[in-house]
Amino acid sequence: MKLWVYVIRRLVLLLPTIIGLTFLVFALEHLGGNTLFLAQYINPHLTGTAREKLVEELTAKFHLNDPVYIQYFYWLAAVFQGDLGTSTTLGQPVATGFVWFMPNTIMLTLVASVLTWIISIPIGVYSAARRDSILDQGVRVATFTLYSMPVFLIGFALFIALGTAWHALPDQGNIDPVLLPTIPDAWFDHTNAVSYPTHILPLDAFLHGDWTIAWNSFLHVILPAVALTLALLAGIIRILRASMLEVLEQDYVRLARAKGVPERMVQNFHAKKNALLPTVTSYGYLVSGLFGGAVVIEDIFAFKGIGWWTTDAFLNGDVGVVMGSTLVFGLILVVTTLILDILYAFLDPRIRYE
Amino acid sequence: MATVTESKARFDELRLSGKVFLSNKTAVVGLAIFLVFIGDAFLVQVAPGVLGVQYPDSVVPPQFTQTNPECVGTAPEAPSFNHLFGTIQYGLSGIGCLDLLQLVMKAIRIDVAISFFIVLVGAAIGTVVGVVSGYFGRWLDEAMMRVTDVFFSVPFLILALAVGFVIGRTLVNMALALIIIWWPLYARYGRSLTLSTKEATFIESARAAGSGRLKIIFRHIMPNVLPPVLVQISLDVGTVILIFSTLAFIGFLPSNALVPELGAIASIGLDFVALGDWWPVIIPGAVITMFSLAVNLMGDGLRDVIDPRRRS
Repeated sequence: MKLWVYVIRRLVLLLPTIIGLTFLVFALEHLGGNTLFLAQYINPHLTGTAREKLVEELTAKFHLNDPVYIQYFYWLAAVFQGDLGTSTTLGQPVATGFVWFMPNTIMLTLVASVLTWIISIPIGVYSAARRDSILDQGVRVATFTLYSMPVFLIGFALFIALGTAWHALPDQGNIDPVLLPTIPDAWFDHTNAVSYPTHILPLDAFLHGDWTIAWNSFLHVILPAVALTLALLAGIIRILRASMLEVLEQDYVRLARAKGVPERMVQNFHAKKNALLPTVTSYGYLVSGLFGGAVVIEDIFAFKGIGWWTTDAFLNGDVGVVMGSTLVFGLILVVTTLILDILYAFLDPRIRYE
Repeated sequence: MATVTESKARFDELRLSGKVFLSNKTAVVGLAIFLVFIGDAFLVQVAPGVLGVQYPDSVVPPQFTQTNPECVGTAPEAPSFNHLFGTIQYGLSGIGCLDLLQLVMKAIRIDVAISFFIVLVGAAIGTVVGVVSGYFGRWLDEAMMRVTDVFFSVPFLILALAVGFVIGRTLVNMALALIIIWWPLYARYGRSLTLSTKEATFIESARAAGSGRLKIIFRHIMPNVLPPVLVQISLDVGTVILIFSTLAFIGFLPSNALVPELGAIASIGLDFVALGDWWPVIIPGAVITMFSLAVNLMGDGLRDVIDPRRRS
């Protein structure tokens, strides 16, 4: 199978998943009844006749008196127009909130992913190559323990040790509140605490040449990023080690050793690349955990990304944000999995024939 | 005679399994820790007085709805001989100065019960769905796979939050939300196990002997699917506790619900972290880690038992 045929096949298989995802979110929104459904489109401060009038208008717009399958299409039409309702906690359209907070979450998850790979590849490879050595046993005990820790414990151990106890690193928010008023209005919206143009504070400060702000907001990224890395690390090292052990048993590795290739070359050139391949697909499953972990970590460190926003919305009964997050995170996860699958098929042609 | 030799063979099989498990030292340690947790849960259920635990279903005594006069103005105490795990306050206004060890002992009963409940119900639903769709194949199988795809397409923690948001934030609903997330895993697993068993010659001969579909599924396929599913269950009990305690920690259970659950207790402890008190968050978290670690070690040992390639 040619690569483009495989890509098209995967794209076609993607459609039912995305349609199913919209079914799921729509079903969740409607399980709560019409009042909960409409809550995301109505300003809570609106009362009296104006509110009744709006309820009537919305009932007509979403055809709430028609059968459910008809309602679905009107809801879907609104979603396609980017109308996910209004966030009561933010006082802005839900879609705007995603534009503001998503870049922070993407940055956090990307930084954590890169850190995870940088740390886990050498550890996993080394640990497998020296199987049952003291170092390998240490790595196994450490990963097993880390793997058994709830994300909030990892986050809080760092929070308490480096944040509150030693004051080594800032542990709350995206920037020191003292510095907030010093940010110029030109690229910072003070009412909503959003920076422009990328909405990622350290990057925006860097682009505008404000080094104090850039450095301070960068320091605020470190603890959440390291916590998220630790939450991911154990799973990846375990997969990598197992995969490397399997590869080292293969005939071609034995041949390489037999013909006298130095052991280090065998590991780095012959074995490592093939051991990494299956880890790429496993990473697809871990992405789900990555986003879940980001929710908890952002909540603990009050780091203003989608996860922080979603938990805040969850606790304050902001239905539009919770449902919007389910849909948006679902779409992101589906697309990420697709990209990883295609990447895998590109790297390993055997996959396309299965 | 045939039954005697059969039961002897079965006994030998069991004895070999036991030997394989016991020869794995870390698995035995896991089992021992696991039994301590189960023992605690059992005692709190049938005779809470033995452990000195009172009012096992609530964090604070029912009469302390406002403040506990004994505790007003007292700060949480660090671990000491009197309070091995230290004490915490419920609420900054000081409703009750609570012994953390006692809270943890209460919470273990709820945490262990909920983990088993979620995984067992999820596995039961998922395995039946998976085996049926794997056996019948074709459109049924295709449809089932697409349905599980949808459930996998949302990060599990966010899906649990969304489900909980709609059906209400109680302990039982938290378990239900996690069952909704958990069953597709077992549906996939049960399906793949069925697909590999379905082609075996003994299934073919059963069919040739005139066995019906239901009989084949329950008499021949299920016995081959169940052992690996059971191992998966034992591993998942250690994973699901991490997820629901985290959910409880970020506030799935309303703080006035006063459920003694380890994640919820840790979130009560959050109020004191700014004061530099580490134990109210770290100790409940460490207890969760102990349980999860023990179960994982035990599950690894069980996997060695049912996988003949790993026996030696």
